[in-house]
Amino acid sequence: MTLRSFIRHETLLALLLALVLVVLSLQSDKFLTVQNLLNQGRLMTETGLIAIAMTFVIATGGIDLSVGSILGLSAILTGVFWQNVGLPLSVTAVAAIAVGTIAGLVNGIIITRFKVPPLIATLATLALYRGLAEGISQARSVRGYPEWFYVLGQGSVLGVPTQLWILLLAAVTASILLAYTRYGRTVYVIGSNEVTARFSGLSVEGTKLALYTASGFTAAVAAVIFVSRVSTTRSDMGTGIELDAITAVVLGGTSIFGGRGTVLGTVIGLCLIQALKNGLLLAGVKGDGTIMLIGAVLILAILASNLFERSGPR
Amino acid sequence: MADTPAFVTLSGISKAFAGVRVLKDVSFDVRPGEVHALLGENGAGKSTLIKILSGLYTPDTGTIIIDGKNVKFASPRDATAAGIATVYQELLLFPELSVAENVFLGNYPRTSMGIIDWAEVRSRTRELLDSLDTHDLDVDDKVLSLSVAQRQRVEIAKALSKNARVLIMDEPTASLVEADVRRLMDIVRQLRARGVGIIYVSHRMSEIFALADRVTVLRDGAFVATRDVGDVDEAGLVALMVGRSIESLFPKLDVPIGETVLEVKNLNHGRHVRDISFGLRKGEVLGVAGLVGSGRTELALTLFGMTPATSGEILLDGRPVSIRSPLQARDLGIAYVPEDRGLQGLVKPMTIRKNVTMATLEKVSSGMFLRAREEASRAMAAVKRLGIRCRNIDQPVAQLSGGNQQKVVIAKWLQTNPRILILDEPTRGVDVGAKSEIHLVMGELVKQGVAILMISSELPEVLGMSDRVLVMSDGRITDVLDRAEATPERVGAAMTAPRSAEAA
Amino acid sequence: MAVTGVELSSARLQRNRRSGVLKRLMSDYGQEVVVFAAIITLFVVVTMINPRFVSANNLTSIFAGNAYIAVAAIGMSMVIITGNIDVSVGALIGVLATISGTLAVAGYPIWVAWFLPVLVGMAINAVIGVLVAYAKIPSIVVTLGALSILRGGLISVTGGTWISNLPPDFLIAQKRLLGVPVPLIAMVVLTLAAAAWMRYFAFGRSLYALGGNPEAAVASGIPAERRTVAVFIIHGFFAGLATILFATQLQVIQSTVPPNLELTIITAAVIGGASILGGSGTVVGSTLAAILFAAIGSALIFTNVSAYWFRAVIGLLILATVLADMLRRQRST
Repeated sequence: MTLRSFIRHETLLALLLALVLVVLSLQSDKFLTVQNLLNQGRLMTETGLIAIAMTFVIATGGIDLSVGSILGLSAILTGVFWQNVGLPLSVTAVAAIAVGTIAGLVNGIIITRFKVPPLIATLATLALYRGLAEGISQARSVRGYPEWFYVLGQGSVLGVPTQLWILLLAAVTASILLAYTRYGRTVYVIGSNEVTARFSGLSVEGTKLALYTASGFTAAVAAVIFVSRVSTTRSDMGTGIELDAITAVVLGGTSIFGGRGTVLGTVIGLCLIQALKNGLLLAGVKGDGTIMLIGAVLILAILASNLFERSGPR
Repeated sequence: MADTPAFVTLSGISKAFAGVRVLKDVSFDVRPGEVHALLGENGAGKSTLIKILSGLYTPDTGTIIIDGKNVKFASPRDATAAGIATVYQELLLFPELSVAENVFLGNYPRTSMGIIDWAEVRSRTRELLDSLDTHDLDVDDKVLSLSVAQRQRVEIAKALSKNARVLIMDEPTASLVEADVRRLMDIVRQLRARGVGIIYVSHRMSEIFALADRVTVLRDGAFVATRDVGDVDEAGLVALMVGRSIESLFPKLDVPIGETVLEVKNLNHGRHVRDISFGLRKGEVLGVAGLVGSGRTELALTLFGMTPATSGEILLDGRPVSIRSPLQARDLGIAYVPEDRGLQGLVKPMTIRKNVTMATLEKVSSGMFLRAREEASRAMAAVKRLGIRCRNIDQPVAQLSGGNQQKVVIAKWLQTNPRILILDEPTRGVDVGAKSEIHLVMGELVKQGVAILMISSELPEVLGMSDRVLVMSDGRITDVLDRAEATPERVGAAMTAPRSAEAA
Repeated sequence: MAVTGVELSSARLQRNRRSGVLKRLMSDYGQEVVVFAAIITLFVVVTMINPRFVSANNLTSIFAGNAYIAVAAIGMSMVIITGNIDVSVGALIGVLATISGTLAVAGYPIWVAWFLPVLVGMAINAVIGVLVAYAKIPSIVVTLGALSILRGGLISVTGGTWISNLPPDFLIAQKRLLGVPVPLIAMVVLTLAAAAWMRYFAFGRSLYALGGNPEAAVASGIPAERRTVAVFIIHGFFAGLATILFATQLQVIQSTVPPNLELTIITAAVIGGASILGGSGTVVGSTLAAILFAAIGSALIFTNVSAYWFRAVIGLLILATVLADMLRRQRST
């Protein structure tokens, strides 16, 4: 094992996470408790699900800015279908997830069929989907969901928050998919050199279409979990979550140019962000001060890994 | 003219990249008002020499003397300031900007207040274009709407706007159609008459004899000779370029030729594949000759499903097939080793292992899971079979030499067990050793019954390796020659045939 | 019959001569013309439905109320034209507005309260520019980080409180000069100045070169890194000027900016014709697009359509613009 392969981005990041955990637990004895950690896991599930799908998207060299809006749209539809249309909540949740998935598919079609750069395509649908959420809801919130629905966002299974199981399942599945299957390999090839991918007979368009659709799907699932967690539906739900997810992904070592990145890195990045948020809060730093720190960590982490890469042998 | 002192003199120039010497002790000069042709096979060192002269590279040893003074170029700007301008193969223009602005970008005429004088920019561009007999170009047109030939004239105007005294033209006719070639040659003659020294890089013998005053030949990075064009003939130049006889260089295996596997009838796609019909037989190497832009690569892309045919028929073993994607082509047993291996053939940061299995992922998977061991053993076998020189199969291909990179691309496609292998410039930028190894592999493949369609810009390679030669010009097949009748003269004539074959 | 290159060229020439001024206008300023036509159409249609749409009051609110977005979009256009992007500008405007208001309330001279934030904006963007140009971190990543830092910084400093009791002289955006609202004057003057600079100065032209073909730009002697930093600083300058208009339009300065302000500004630039692929676009276009947004928002109110559909309309508009742009590109290559 060479020094260079040891100083991989994920390794650096895991060390950083360990350091942060130690420092934070010294700061406050409330931090390193099972109860607190599980609760933090609950809070990071929505961003986590979105970030996992985003890892794939960014690894192909793309980006999806519309996930926050898809989340908002799906959340609104869950509520509106249930309250105004009168469908059973279980059906409306599934329908809302279906709409979110279609929203992702539409992104994919705009990007693959019309060759619109992903940044612009999803910037446009960011406005469109959020606009639909606002227009449909007319900014009215929906509350008073039946008790069983809160199991998803507020309940526990075997002592662990329900949604954390979902996140865990998603992380493990995605990790295997990206690292050990030919779909994962295809993602990396597309991200490294799309032309070669095409010349090698790989399905570039099909893969991208699937990924943006999956991104819409996870955002919609996150929406249902979100609604269940906070007991209410509002059209501004998920605003800015795309930036949190992208931060986690990029912090986790996925190259914004594509071709490189792991789900594990993203998960470590997520944990780091959540630990910082929570730990600093417990240490008495105001909640919004931590957002600053996350921004700084993002830039410094990329700067550091850029420097490592450039100083290493070519 | 021989008495005119040279404007630029290069002497004893050497240059190495990563320990590989690409130029060894080369000397070269250009006089005002002459066309000096630079000739050599791919990899002979022409581009490196040009890049040194235009300030992109600095030589390791040797001197550049301009007007009797020793100079050193730290950047292209220094070369421009010294009066040397280059018209590159990949044109360095700004597609969204107008013709006039492209000519004067970075060098705008300004009014006394320091603001750009657009009227002056436009009128001076007009003058420059008129002086090149280019009256059909609107100075306000955006460059993205221009043809390749028109863009080239913009580049030449740009060079002249900087008062270039030496103009380097790197394969200027490579992607021009015949009429544009004649116009370009007129422009070159006109520039020479004005006293501009022109370094003219081209493979086309006819142009060299029509235009050049002197010719310098490079081979394997070394200076071979400089001659007055009046003192040499075509055969002599080819001998200087190649330095060996064709037979010893190209180990053509004689293999019994089997039945027809691929038949193409009246195939069309766009402007570059027009009404193409031919057959390809088992165990045969069918060479495709033609200038860049003649439609050779476009034909390959159409057969490979990248740019599916708009009309015409493709028959495999006599059965009509439809090829709409590379995946379909692959499944039908067609493989394509592309022209630009860096852009189209390889994922350079990835390892040899991953590159080799890239087109056959399902063969190294069970279900959707990749089998690392199967992948490794296939990669290892490929490394052995093709003699890829590397540390191990987990070395990124970016670290390999050009020849070994090309072998990786070939290995990738051999994984598919193709029946028809299309090779597009298989030995471009490949050193001599790897080149003959690739030729040996081709021999082995035809022995196993693979049919090979080989596109090459290198005439000796086409003539040396092919059983038959198919010549293309302007999107059409202009001639099909058997090995025995395929002489450089006949192939060359068909390559530049101004669609005379159309009547036939 | 085969058509040779020469014949093609002369055919082309004749076509060009026939097409005349309109075609030239469309090919060089197509996007601007389209946006302008959209504004006119909107005005005609909405006025027919509700004549009060063109009342002096409403026109003032359309043209002056969104002027700060147009001004910020000038700098954003330049950033996008060079092939970069900035998602932190909304948060930057919030931070600068708070600084400005704090200075004004603390009794500093009015011009200090106005222009010190402009300098701060330039300094912050200088750092962003250096990280993009020299540390080679993609602009989307740098500005994403900057967004977090600025947004977090804003809320943690203000604690969510509004700044009130602003001195009346400070509120420049509510004043009129010769009867014309100051924001409108600022928008027009700054747009024209920036447009002239980008048309008549080599520095301004180099932005197009850098975005259109970076390699060729460097080969033409344009110092790419220094220019990139400069463009971000100029962008910071316009963000600072936009802040003056934003901070002084109400009696109070809120601790937040409109949600997704950065995306509105980016959208104005893109609809105005700045190609995200770099190399084309004008600031006249982005200003027209900002006016179009304001007019659409107002039109929804005057046609009794819920304002909550505003964003959906804008979204569709961006999508239509982008798809049209891609189709145009595909046809021209």
